[in-house]
Amino acid sequence: MDIKTTPQGLLIYLTMTAFLLAASLLRTRQKALGHGFWFAGFVAATASLIYRGFHTGHPPMQNLFEFFLCMAAMLWPLSKLSRWQAGTNTDFQDALLGLFILFPAGFVFGEEPRRLPPALQSPLFIPHVGSYVAGYIMLARAALMALPLFSKKCVDDPGLVQRADRGSRQTAAIGFVLVTSGLLLGAIWGKICWSNYWQWDPKEMWSLATWLVYAAYFHYRLKNGTRSPRILAAFLMLGLLFIVLTLTWINLSRLFPGVHNYAS
Amino acid sequence: MRFLDLGSAVYLCLFLAAASVCAAFMGDKLSSSLMSHPAALAAVLLLMHGLLFSGIRSLKRKRLDSALLHLGVACILAGWVIGQFAIRRATPEHPIKGSMALVDGDISDRLFAGSTLTEEIGRVPFSVRLLRFSVERYGDTEQAANQMPIRAYCSRVEIREPGKEPRVEEIRVNQPAYVAGYHIYQMSWGETKDYDGRPVTYTVLTLIRDPGLHIVYAGYGILMLGVVVFMLRLFRRECPAPQTV
Repeated sequence: MDIKTTPQGLLIYLTMTAFLLAASLLRTRQKALGHGFWFAGFVAATASLIYRGFHTGHPPMQNLFEFFLCMAAMLWPLSKLSRWQAGTNTDFQDALLGLFILFPAGFVFGEEPRRLPPALQSPLFIPHVGSYVAGYIMLARAALMALPLFSKKCVDDPGLVQRADRGSRQTAAIGFVLVTSGLLLGAIWGKICWSNYWQWDPKEMWSLATWLVYAAYFHYRLKNGTRSPRILAAFLMLGLLFIVLTLTWINLSRLFPGVHNYAS
Repeated sequence: MRFLDLGSAVYLCLFLAAASVCAAFMGDKLSSSLMSHPAALAAVLLLMHGLLFSGIRSLKRKRLDSALLHLGVACILAGWVIGQFAIRRATPEHPIKGSMALVDGDISDRLFAGSTLTEEIGRVPFSVRLLRFSVERYGDTEQAANQMPIRAYCSRVEIREPGKEPRVEEIRVNQPAYVAGYHIYQMSWGETKDYDGRPVTYTVLTLIRDPGLHIVYAGYGILMLGVVVFMLRLFRRECPAPQTV
């Protein structure tokens, strides 16, 4: 447990409070107030990210702490983008997701700023990490949107299946584009920095495995349609599991040494 | 080719995902040495042909997104295979990868391998002379200089190619030089003693030639275009049909 009393920590706790209030109020009649807190949470998350950037003197994407701050700040815009593009309303789930994302930043990881090592000083730093931040958010949201596919109500409500499948698949498609771009930008950066575009590094292999799980999902959806909605949802859950593992276990465990060891 | 349908593609993707996870557990050294085995090379070639077949089939069916995706990945694999064959066919006159350790003023065209850089691999068709290697650190004060984190490594070299004017390049991390088909990287550095026992700093430059690189990059472009077209197509298909009254 690492309770922070710095301005950085207070901004994180402020964001978490706003997300919590938003999620609670969006489930009551006070929808307008809920949306207000949801937006306030975005403002606080952005402020915390900008503060971090000035405090460390480099783009705040170096370690997991900063990665989670980035995710929290990108959540609201990506949620609204989905709403505009697909017409899906997922404010409640997204505010809850924000709470989950910020928990490790607020209570687990330390916030000691570190100087940027030479390997991370590249124009590809922001696009590579940024693609992954946004991509992981979209894929996590896709998994949440697919949750209704597990319920028993699906059997006699084709409309529910269609809505949940459509929303989750479109969101997963956006996430897939972002994750692909993160992977390819990472490969190009690897060639420039480490002399090879593919290093067989454990984190690369887990990212490739995640990418392949979503590739399997899209092939499966194309072949079987929505005939077995639970399997579709299971694919998206498996993808989310891989993402969570990549972000936590692979980054922090000594089981997976490699060139990607900036995060720990 | 009936077995190359969507159903088997699902299993193939999941199998490859599982294989990637296994490779992650094995670590980078073991995975990369396993993948340079002829059997692994043959498996990748087989996969590449499957992707090529699917891509061309999609092209015939006017499924542009699927065609670009499969051909893009096939192209990346093809570039990688070309690189692997180049490694196998490397000669001392035309080496593929090696490193040189230099102190200020050294001039060399010989590449070495191994952890202590003692095993000679061959010669490159140009020479590298280290003008000056410098390590820059964060912070301004002189006294704390050796404790501060490192900001940059920089090898200033002069490159002489036969029949060309000598030129000076600065090689840093994230900023390799490119000479006659070789990328030159700032890979490592260290401290040692010269013949008189005085401490000197040396730099390790790694030189790599990869004839498949452009094909891999072309594959990246095709794959990226493919996912974008795939996403846009998916959005368009899913738009609610206009209501007719």
